[in-house]
Amino acid sequence: MLFTISWRNVWRNKLRSGIIIVAVALGLTASIFMTSLYKGLANQRIEKAIRTEVSHIQIHQSEFRENNDITKFIPGALDMTSQIRSMETVSGAASRLVIYSMVASAETSAGIKISGIIPEQEMEVTNLQEKIVEGTYLTEKKKNPVLISRKLAEKLNVKMGSKVVITLQDLQNNIVSGAFRIVGLFDTHSKAYDESNIFVLYSDLSALMMVPPGAAHEIAIRVLRHDQVEGLYTDLESRYKELEVLTWSELSPELWFLTEAMDFLMYVLFIIILLALLFGLVNTMLMVVLERTKEIGMLMAVGMNRVRIFSMIVLETVFLALTGGITGVFAGMLISKYFETHAIDLSRMGRAFEDLGFDSYVYTSMNVPLLINVTLLVILAGILGSLFPAYRALQNNPSEALRIE
Amino acid sequence: MKKNLLMAWRNLWRNKSRTIITVASIFFGVLISTLMSSMQEGSYSSMIGNIVKLYSGYIQVHQQDYWANRTINNTFVPAGSLVSKIRGIDEITTMAPRLESFVLASSDEITRGSNLIGIDPAEENKATQLKKRLTQGVYLKQGDPGVLISSDLAHYLKLGIGDTAVMIGQGYHGVSAAGKFPVRGIVNLPSPELNKQTIYMDLGHCQEFFSAEDRLTALVLMVNDPYDLVPAMQQLNPVITSPYHAMTWDEMQPEVLRMINSDRQASSIMKLILYAVIGFGILSTVMMMIIERSREMGVMIAIGMRRLKLASVLFYETVFIGLIGVVAGFVGSIPLITYFYKHPVSMPGNTGQTMIIKGFDPYLYFSWHPRVFYEQVIIVLIITLVVSLYPIYSAKRLKVQDALRG
Repeated sequence: MLFTISWRNVWRNKLRSGIIIVAVALGLTASIFMTSLYKGLANQRIEKAIRTEVSHIQIHQSEFRENNDITKFIPGALDMTSQIRSMETVSGAASRLVIYSMVASAETSAGIKISGIIPEQEMEVTNLQEKIVEGTYLTEKKKNPVLISRKLAEKLNVKMGSKVVITLQDLQNNIVSGAFRIVGLFDTHSKAYDESNIFVLYSDLSALMMVPPGAAHEIAIRVLRHDQVEGLYTDLESRYKELEVLTWSELSPELWFLTEAMDFLMYVLFIIILLALLFGLVNTMLMVVLERTKEIGMLMAVGMNRVRIFSMIVLETVFLALTGGITGVFAGMLISKYFETHAIDLSRMGRAFEDLGFDSYVYTSMNVPLLINVTLLVILAGILGSLFPAYRALQNNPSEALRIE
Repeated sequence: MKKNLLMAWRNLWRNKSRTIITVASIFFGVLISTLMSSMQEGSYSSMIGNIVKLYSGYIQVHQQDYWANRTINNTFVPAGSLVSKIRGIDEITTMAPRLESFVLASSDEITRGSNLIGIDPAEENKATQLKKRLTQGVYLKQGDPGVLISSDLAHYLKLGIGDTAVMIGQGYHGVSAAGKFPVRGIVNLPSPELNKQTIYMDLGHCQEFFSAEDRLTALVLMVNDPYDLVPAMQQLNPVITSPYHAMTWDEMQPEVLRMINSDRQASSIMKLILYAVIGFGILSTVMMMIIERSREMGVMIAIGMRRLKLASVLFYETVFIGLIGVVAGFVGSIPLITYFYKHPVSMPGNTGQTMIIKGFDPYLYFSWHPRVFYEQVIIVLIITLVVSLYPIYSAKRLKVQDALRG
């Protein structure tokens, strides 16, 4: 009964209710869309970093990462890699030799990280092959091929087909050099990464470094789905106790941090918008109570008790909040869902996003826990917002209220 | 006109609760939008502050060729007149001299290329809070012959407090430079790159080491917050003439500036959403006010009041309400923002922890800049003026018969 009365009261003045419903709906739709967009940006950044640089899980000899000491390699890493590749949740695993050293052209030289890779394994883990802008990926056909970035090529003043010399200290501490021919140029859009990474074949680098056969410094692993990282991590951790197994969040804490910080900031902004909605609701309901002084006085006079009047106003407010809230959450979800499969062009917002390592196209990603929280918060806001107006309604004195025009 | 204003003013106080409710909707609008912009501006300022305190400072003065070609030969001897002129600029709070160049640093067996920075310990601490980053040992004193080593470098070189670091480099105009220095302290620098390769030394000893008597690579200047940067640069530019050159943090780190700008753009969308919500809130109360008074308006027109006059009275009423609302909002926002300015919101749980580990402040700061306040007052007032078109429109359209009957 009370429900019906309140519901009808909401629709007695369509324009007034419409305005507040639209305000709630619009505020929520826009906020949900913005949070989804932010989440999408954050995910893209994580995915890109995992795809090009970090990968989901990396395994090293426990002391390797400290000083990048090349003597701390994993013996039998190639066999280990093939075992890991056969595991259920693994989409790819690649062994690498890693050394920080120097690459030189005829004119100048640069300090660099050199990775010795096995192309067919590497392709399953990273997407370097998609970043080639000139020439080809590494192949076993020619001896001593090298992939360098376009930026580094400019810095060294070399081009496709040029020779560069890699100088390093081998495992016996001898300084050795090898001439490599540039077979491809890559560009990952990350300046820092491009200027500090080159890739050669595992076999060439292991010969140069005098590494025992089958050994490697690093095993990078990619899982099929993002949520399988934890499971595989515990599995590998217990299987290779003497080695250091790390997930992407440990390998790149700033990435993890960025996601968290973005989430937090969006939460706070969201709460501020909800606050504004709450005040809008309170003010409208106060006006409603004021306008209906006579009516409420009449209801009191004919014997409607105070609890019922209070509940009636509370229910009206909750209906307003819920109608707007559900419409808003729904519309926000639909729009976010649409842009999960249809990219938004960010290039109009300037170069900043690209410089941050984002693509100029972004997909939204809905934050489901956030949506649930928002819906709950809207209901809470509706109830909170109704208390004061409902209380004001009770302050009416029926005999005076009835006299009002 | 005067009569209309008077009528509007009296109308306001005929029904106090109605006016107060409408004023409240504007009041809260100002309060909330001020809160949001204070938070946004504050977090940008603290982001910038955090970043410039890592290394660069807000402004650096160099010899004009230094930035393009960072060698010890592109150094300068700061003229006394330059120093006193810089000190004369009120906005500039700190002036920290630096002399830095590449050296090979060694312990017994291990050698690594490093960046040796000669500093004035007290001034450097004011500029980059170096003392706070000390994890072991003691901070440098003026004239101390020891060094501070960044923690990753110290770990790599296996150097501890009291050990001796050997440094070899190239001094001013190719003079060879070599020396032994006791390690006084270990500093943990937030930037992983810097933490792998930085050594700090007292400026005097560093100049002696590089045979670069009185020479500097940079004067690092600090201001209180990013807002002071523009006035400081305006006063600095006429002072800095060839062979000197001044650069601001955003010229030195353009990618950081772009990052902050992109964040600004994204969160300005959130602010637009907020304005829409506030606008609708004000509109709904104003609308209610008009609906409630339609009978009264009908009577006025019926007894011969011109619609234009009625519209202008209603318009003035809304403007009065708007003005009272924004002034009240302005006054109310001062204690609110002051509270948050003094009690910044801290990042929850793990996020906060990681921020501390990375050497950043785990807080969302609020800005107390006057712009935050008056901008929001103006914007909300504009929103109110737009909303006040509704009463004008409804005075024009009012159907007298319906209104009288209702």
